[in-house]
Amino acid sequence: MDVKGFMETSLVDWDGRIASLVFTPGCNLRCPYCYNHELVYEPGSYDNVPKESIFSFLDEHSDFIDGVVIVGGEPTVHSDLPDFCRALKERGMMVKLDTNGTRFGVLKALINENLVDYVAMDVKAPLEPEKYSRVAGVDMNGNLDGIVRSIELLKASGVDYEFRTTYVPTLMEPEDIEDIARELRGAKRYVLQKYAPLNIRVEELRGVAPPTDEEMDALVERARRYVEDVKWRGK
Amino acid sequence: METRLESKDATDLALFVKVSRGDIVEWDRQRIVESLIHETGLDRETAEKISLEVRDIVEDSGIKKYLTGPLIRELVNTQLIRHGLIDTRTDYTRLGVPIFDVHEMVVQHNKENANVPHGPEATNLSLAESIKKQYALLKVFPSEIAAGHERGDFHLHDLGMIDRPYCSGNSLEYIKKFGLNLPNALSISKPPKHPEVLLLHLIKFSAALQGSFAGAIGWDAVNLFFAPFLKGVDDKRMEQIAQMLVFEFAQQAVARGGQSIFSDLNIYWEIPKHFEGVPAIGPGGEFTGNNYEDYLPEAQRFATALFNVYKGGDGMGRPFFFPKPQLHITERLFKTEGYEEFLNLAAEVSSRMGNTYYVMDRGETAKISECCRLSFKLEEQDFEDAKTPWKMRYSAMQNATLNLPRVAYQANGDDEELFDIISERMKLMAQAHEYKRRFITRLLSMGNQGPLGLLAMTKDGEPYYRLHRATFLFGMVGLNEMVQYHTGEEMHQSREAFKFGLRTIAYMNKESERLGEEMGMRFVLEQTPAESTAYRMAKLDLAHFGDKAASVMKGSIELGEMYYTNSTYLNVRERINPIERVKKEGMFHPMIHAGSLTHIWLGEARPDPASIANFVIKTFKKTLNDQICFSPEFTSCLDCGKTVRGLA
Ligand code: SF4
Repeated sequence: MDVKGFMETSLVDWDGRIASLVFTPGCNLRCPYCYNHELVYEPGSYDNVPKESIFSFLDEHSDFIDGVVIVGGEPTVHSDLPDFCRALKERGMMVKLDTNGTRFGVLKALINENLVDYVAMDVKAPLEPEKYSRVAGVDMNGNLDGIVRSIELLKASGVDYEFRTTYVPTLMEPEDIEDIARELRGAKRYVLQKYAPLNIRVEELRGVAPPTDEEMDALVERARRYVEDVKWRGK
Repeated sequence: METRLESKDATDLALFVKVSRGDIVEWDRQRIVESLIHETGLDRETAEKISLEVRDIVEDSGIKKYLTGPLIRELVNTQLIRHGLIDTRTDYTRLGVPIFDVHEMVVQHNKENANVPHGPEATNLSLAESIKKQYALLKVFPSEIAAGHERGDFHLHDLGMIDRPYCSGNSLEYIKKFGLNLPNALSISKPPKHPEVLLLHLIKFSAALQGSFAGAIGWDAVNLFFAPFLKGVDDKRMEQIAQMLVFEFAQQAVARGGQSIFSDLNIYWEIPKHFEGVPAIGPGGEFTGNNYEDYLPEAQRFATALFNVYKGGDGMGRPFFFPKPQLHITERLFKTEGYEEFLNLAAEVSSRMGNTYYVMDRGETAKISECCRLSFKLEEQDFEDAKTPWKMRYSAMQNATLNLPRVAYQANGDDEELFDIISERMKLMAQAHEYKRRFITRLLSMGNQGPLGLLAMTKDGEPYYRLHRATFLFGMVGLNEMVQYHTGEEMHQSREAFKFGLRTIAYMNKESERLGEEMGMRFVLEQTPAESTAYRMAKLDLAHFGDKAASVMKGSIELGEMYYTNSTYLNVRERINPIERVKKEGMFHPMIHAGSLTHIWLGEARPDPASIANFVIKTFKKTLNDQICFSPEFTSCLDCGKTVRGLA
């Protein structure tokens, strides 16, 4: 598994923790609002970050860094992701995985082996293949199996997690958030992310104004009918 | 009288003079003679000679009707120089400001700094300060020291306020015990009985102190000392009192030409060890019969209310710049119930507004002089003082900042030379402190009726200003550029460069101790918050050291926006990760006993408060850093543009 980017310190990617960020290349989806689309479309344009330099930074600052957040792209498309997680675990790091949840098998393996401490899984749209395909930018072929099973897995697994949805006006409606929350009923935590038009590949979305704080508050209220712990993030 | 006769001699001029005291009088050459003798001690014979020369010049000039006093004085000065009477000329100097400058200031907007208010009261202050600064450089300090400042070898801060000490740390207990009983005040208030009145006294006393100090006005353990007044106060009223306190302080700026009171509120969640067992003062200045630990619940509720005010910001939701909340982080904090939630609240303020300053009091050290966060191991005397907390008043009398990059230019890569120059400069700066001390001592000795009457009041048996506790500060600018010029690398670039930085500060620290012992004064190093000084020194060095200075200077020379890095900071524009910054900058802090601080830039993102709290706790436990604060806006201070999350 190549690493295409390393952010030494982040206070915003793992609530309550001080974390480093590892960016992996490639993704099996094509969400039009993706912030990291370069990693999805042209991962080759980035140099690899040597893993030794990452490990040596982590070793030097293990007194501050609680863990590493692995983000993409989509980390689970790499079959050797577990090895990387294992290497982090061996250095005493906690691991958080940001995933789109499509690769149920990989997620399950990571959880079974205790290689992740926190999973943030995207639930991009209500669980209807057509709607999902629209938001994810690829044809889900009528099949959301992987995603549905990942949701159930997280709910049952005992590993700490959150589900999350980036709310993009024009791409979705407030009702969609309510639908998603209903489908997540009983989940531990649900986070809405405020869309921000920065570094957006798709032309039509660039002009879309981000939702206001008040709109986000209202969405949180709707979702709270089904999930207790709901909040929104963003500027 | 001979002189009187002489003055009426037939050859005198038929002219009128507009004199400074506000009158138009007949030309009288004898006035020159008398004023020369009176003001400079010149002998009569020379004075006569000079006055005659001046008369001739005036006569030849063809001036028909009016002369002004200032013009005559300048003519006299010209003659004094001609006769080589340089010292006499200095004593005869007229201080003032060119009419062009006054016009610019009064009528035009201050273009150089749009943030500087320029209302009538503000320009009054600026004009007065410019004259007092000239006075200080000519009269308070000997010319060698004045020249050191003017050349930019070092910078003496707040010369325009030469007749005041620099900053002050105060105790609310003084007001609670003695009421508001200020010299020259027309009415006197007895010790307050209600929290709202205590609050108003606090603000008013701060405003009075602002008139007697140049810099920050700090207040220790504000929430704790308020607590005995807050028994039985319900949440609503508590919230209002907190709001009033912050808003009233913040808005004091209207009173003095837009100059905020540089106020600090020190806040503790726990009972600081030195206030345990201390009898509490309550309404009416009476001891309540309880000790401060009995008021912990009220102190904590008030602390929470204060941070809630900071969280909300002002009427527009903007952060308050003053009063600065300084939250003390101590071992005891972590042993005090409810600290997680409280720390999260303070961290939420950091995340949203950036206000909170986290002051790290490790071990037996406490930062009890809140003005410049002077930290010291509490000595026996301090524990004694803490039993009578109204006595806990501290001050740094003067702040002098050394231009370190210049030292490197002059040392030409020679270590020994470099340290020698530092010693030489520090010696001069120490002498400057000595002169300031003498000057202030003299003003204080005039007592209640003197110019520093407020500081001379003796309600508790000793003067409000405790001279024997006064500290004097050695600041520094541009350690990073000094190291860069001397070693070829900036401090973040190599271990060797960084080590040389540490060595330099250790040397300065030792020098300050040595000088202090020698001169019987308290000297400590300070991290001067000195953006304008850093700019001034950079500008002067560029003019006098050309390429040498340009090779290490930061900012843009083309745009005239060059600067040196503040104090011992690492290059502020480098994206040094915050952990490394906190650790490395913190390594200087044990040697710098005042004002040490590391800024952590948060960029555009709003972190989870718990992550910030986590960072604060680790800074306390894993580093030597004395103080940190978080700044939400990366762009507000630097011109490196937006911080884009992810792969920027
Ligand atoms: S799943 Fe994530 S990385 Fe992949 S395209 Fe969507 S937003 Fe981008």
